[in-house]
Amino acid sequence: MLTFWTFARKFARNRAALLGLLVIVAVVVVAAMAPVWFPRNPLRIVGRPEIWPFVNPRFPLGTDSLGRDIAAMIAHGARTTLMIGIFASLTASLIGITVGSTAAYFGGWVDEVFMRIAELFQTIPNIIFVLTIVSILGQTITNITIAVGIVTWTPIARLTRAEFLSLRDREFVQACRAIGMRDLSIMVRQILPNALPPVIILSSLVVASAILFESAVSFLGLGDPNVASWGGLIGDGRTLIRSSWYICAVPGIAIMATVLALNLVGDGLNDALNPKLNEG
Amino acid sequence: MLRILFRRLVQIIPLILGVIIMNFGLIQLAPGSFLDVMTAEQQISDPAMIERMRILYGMDQPAAVQLLKYIWSVVTLDFGYSYRQNAPVLTVIMQHLPATALLMLAAIAVALLVGVVAGVVAAVKVNTIWDNLISLIAVFFFAAPTFWLGIMLTILFSVKLGWLPVGGMRTVGTEFGAIAATFDIARHLLLPAVSLGLFYAATYARVMRASMLEVYKSDFVRTARSKGLPGFQVVVIHVLRNALLPVVTLLGLQLGTVLGGSVVIETVFSWPGIGSLMLDSVMSRNYPVVLGVLVMSSVVVAVANAAVDIAYFKLDPRISAR
Amino acid sequence: MDTISRRDLLAGAAGLALTSAIGGTASGQAARTPKRGGTLVGSWGGFEPQALFVPPGGGSSPNMTSTKVLERLIRLDEDLQFRPVLALSVTPAADFRSYTIKLRPNVKWHDGADFTADDVVFNAMDYWKPISSGGALNALVSAEAVDKETVVLKFNATVPDFFLKSILAGRTVTIPKHIYAGKEMMTNPANNLPIGTGPFKVREWVRGSHVEYVRNENYWDPQLPYVDKLVIRWWRDPASRSAAFEAGQLDFAVFNPIPAPDVKRLVDTRRFTAVTEGYKNTAWALTTYFNTQREIFKRADVRRALLHAVDREFISDTIYFGRAKPATGHIPSSNSLFYFKDLPTYSFDPDKAGKLLDAAGYPIRNGSRFTMNIVSAGWFEENVKAGQYLRQAFEDIGIKVDLAIPDRATSLKRIYTDYEFDMAISNNSGPLELAPQWTQSYTTSGIVKGAAFRNASRYSNPALDKLVDQYLVETDPKKRQALAREFQLILATEAPVTSLVEIVSATVARSDVRVAANYADVLGESWAHIWLDR
Repeated sequence: MLTFWTFARKFARNRAALLGLLVIVAVVVVAAMAPVWFPRNPLRIVGRPEIWPFVNPRFPLGTDSLGRDIAAMIAHGARTTLMIGIFASLTASLIGITVGSTAAYFGGWVDEVFMRIAELFQTIPNIIFVLTIVSILGQTITNITIAVGIVTWTPIARLTRAEFLSLRDREFVQACRAIGMRDLSIMVRQILPNALPPVIILSSLVVASAILFESAVSFLGLGDPNVASWGGLIGDGRTLIRSSWYICAVPGIAIMATVLALNLVGDGLNDALNPKLNEG
Repeated sequence: MLRILFRRLVQIIPLILGVIIMNFGLIQLAPGSFLDVMTAEQQISDPAMIERMRILYGMDQPAAVQLLKYIWSVVTLDFGYSYRQNAPVLTVIMQHLPATALLMLAAIAVALLVGVVAGVVAAVKVNTIWDNLISLIAVFFFAAPTFWLGIMLTILFSVKLGWLPVGGMRTVGTEFGAIAATFDIARHLLLPAVSLGLFYAATYARVMRASMLEVYKSDFVRTARSKGLPGFQVVVIHVLRNALLPVVTLLGLQLGTVLGGSVVIETVFSWPGIGSLMLDSVMSRNYPVVLGVLVMSSVVVAVANAAVDIAYFKLDPRISAR
Repeated sequence: MDTISRRDLLAGAAGLALTSAIGGTASGQAARTPKRGGTLVGSWGGFEPQALFVPPGGGSSPNMTSTKVLERLIRLDEDLQFRPVLALSVTPAADFRSYTIKLRPNVKWHDGADFTADDVVFNAMDYWKPISSGGALNALVSAEAVDKETVVLKFNATVPDFFLKSILAGRTVTIPKHIYAGKEMMTNPANNLPIGTGPFKVREWVRGSHVEYVRNENYWDPQLPYVDKLVIRWWRDPASRSAAFEAGQLDFAVFNPIPAPDVKRLVDTRRFTAVTEGYKNTAWALTTYFNTQREIFKRADVRRALLHAVDREFISDTIYFGRAKPATGHIPSSNSLFYFKDLPTYSFDPDKAGKLLDAAGYPIRNGSRFTMNIVSAGWFEENVKAGQYLRQAFEDIGIKVDLAIPDRATSLKRIYTDYEFDMAISNNSGPLELAPQWTQSYTTSGIVKGAAFRNASRYSNPALDKLVDQYLVETDPKKRQALAREFQLILATEAPVTSLVEIVSATVARSDVRVAANYADVLGESWAHIWLDR
């Protein structure tokens, strides 16, 4: 097994991944500090509408069409974005790991049924499914999170299944069976820890796609109206792309930077954990 | 091969049944039914009229009966009637399908072309500035929300430069010859296809690069090289062919996503396809159309996956040898 | 023939920014001879219709696409004169219980069949009364064809002249009997390719994109229409429409088609014009309903207090970019018949709002007075912003607010079926005539569960109902106005339903597009009078 330090050293060798980590840390800090830096509701109207960025020091990123502080909305939006990303990824991982591990461990008809269900979810165009769920359950952050989790679990399930399949018949598992361990504890205590690293990497990528899903949902006007959201800001700014295109551009850059950083970190983790590349 | 095809087709049936039941159930959960929207949109306020519509739409019957009726109508290849559009659902879908199919194909073409070329270049020039640059650009496009990219491209190419049209599928009101009309559509198609395609191109480039590198290391390539075949030939004939496998798999798996992605892109570019129809139908709880599109897309994706299986046979000598 | 005042609608405003056109009167009477020919590409500030013609109405979009083909008996112009279309005259009897309609002779349907009195009888009894008029023709007892060109409508009550003509110039398009009789009206295939008597015939409808019309060569007015071809095209968002204007792909668009900041920019290029005429008979407002069945909001003093907390100037200037103005009554000021400027108004005064709430028994305790939920119907972008603004405005006077902005379907259900709100934000709209469209949002008979744009407040006041009933049968125009003022006074004082701002609609056009008529409802007229000065 890799120790943490050798792992960290390998990860740090990848400059891009390090940069990604830095960006993510920055986003987390902004999200954490948002209530301190911008204690008022970010959706409050605080100034003149359509002030460009870097013009008025009170509003470093300018104001939107209503006169709301874009910096405040970006900061609070970071909270929304991270929360939806992380919790959707957790939801997806929970479903995916449960389905994938059960299917692989028991095999046979269980496997068949679970994989058919996964195929079912893969067949439905996912963004449409998210929109349907959100418009039916209601436009709240919780529902968007659940909806995104529901459409993103299938790759995790497939990966978990593949990992489990390769581990299922290993000696240490056979040994556990022989000493009469229960299925559940073999799955959770013995196989899962070994199968987890690649699944975790995939989960970090699911955070990225969850963020993209959320932004699309908000952009299409189905986001939660009570919270600031990056995608929602792009949607709001769209009617003004002629005169004030920065309203669209700023949150777009924020989304891109975050998703990019998550991908770079995912790559870094992958390289650090992938034995094949480590040889070279 | 025929057996696999047959097995695949049989598997589609429970899949579609699942799609129908799941989405039917979901729609039943919704607050605000189709009828509420219809009556408001048509500004019907006479209670007797509302009752008449309830019966006309079959909504006076219990949900289970409605579901069974719907399943039967799918079995008979009749996807029901959309009272909102006042036309059979199949007709409505078919009217929008060509535009979406065109957009999807164009986007996939962009994705494959850009993705495969970039992936090959990155793999051939591995660990050079080219490789890094391509990787960087790939993550950039992978990270940018497609709709945002679409808006930004519109600002640049349509608003600031004025080279390309802002939206729609063709210039209306003018008569064109066949060639001019094709060119006209292509001009309209360019931005949406690129916005949508670049996202997938990013994925394909990464996958292509990785799988090229993988295949490079494999024994048969070493053999080919040791036989003294020139580098280019090795890349094209042996490596490329084998490295394409994961890309093909991905393509099959992602068809549903491409269809979904076009919903968002279609709203940005006013593209008259399934996407805008779907969004409109979801918003208005027009469930015959929502279900119709979902069922149709399931069929498309399932058939595409079957096609991928067949492509595997063609591409991978090891599988066909079995 | 028609007494069309040839007013160059758009040339008058050329070079003016929209703001200066608002409230301005008709100007620019450059009476040039219209040219024939060309293709006009039109659009509006909304989406594609569900069908080109939706029998019960279906909102603005099918109204726009159907009225190019299907005609009404008469038309209302901005000067409040009714002009003949399919009917040459509509004349009341002395007792106002029957009306005689003289029809235009030698009119043919697009399929070649004759348009006759039988068609009108069918429309009156089987279409207008039960389906399209929304209950406005309930007093109609019979329609008889006296001869091929004369129809008599008989009523069981007195019917005011302006009221009936307003209905006949409104939602009552004339559909062909030989195509609709004896069949289910909602699912008739002709709804997708309407057959009418109008100046344009449908040539092709490409769903998701556009509908193309061509000149009706056999139109009853051989001068019209001026353009050879009309295309109505839809874009999903306003920014695309303004880009389409600039790219030369769009000539004429109604009902606020493009983002407000773009209007000035386009008009400044002098290649485009923007005017606000043509919407007198379809006025829109940002409307709030209080739920009068809820403990706190059944009290008029609380409702009035809350209205003092709202800055309508802000809503007009910032949320609507100046394309709205503060309303001073339920009826918009553009209604020259039934608008009264001396009704009680609620100035923006948060301190006063707070004091009134203190006096009403709702002082601030533990940081707030009470919690209320606001449901804002999310079909217009401005409603979303208005919801967010109202939350802030009420929070400023110590009220906790839960805001919900559901999509179209859920909004309709929550506001008009479940009444699940303390305050709802929606949009009332209507013609010059108050009954039934405007009045049904506060009369007791307007409380119909599940029927949209009715009395969602469930406000019920017998005194007000009585005045409205009198108004419905009063035939003297002056007395009608007096009654209208009286019931609007009650409404403004009690404030269950309030127009916060009146929306100012604008038409944007290329500067070479001319309209040789002054439609009171530019979206819902035939556009036969539009010509291209190229």
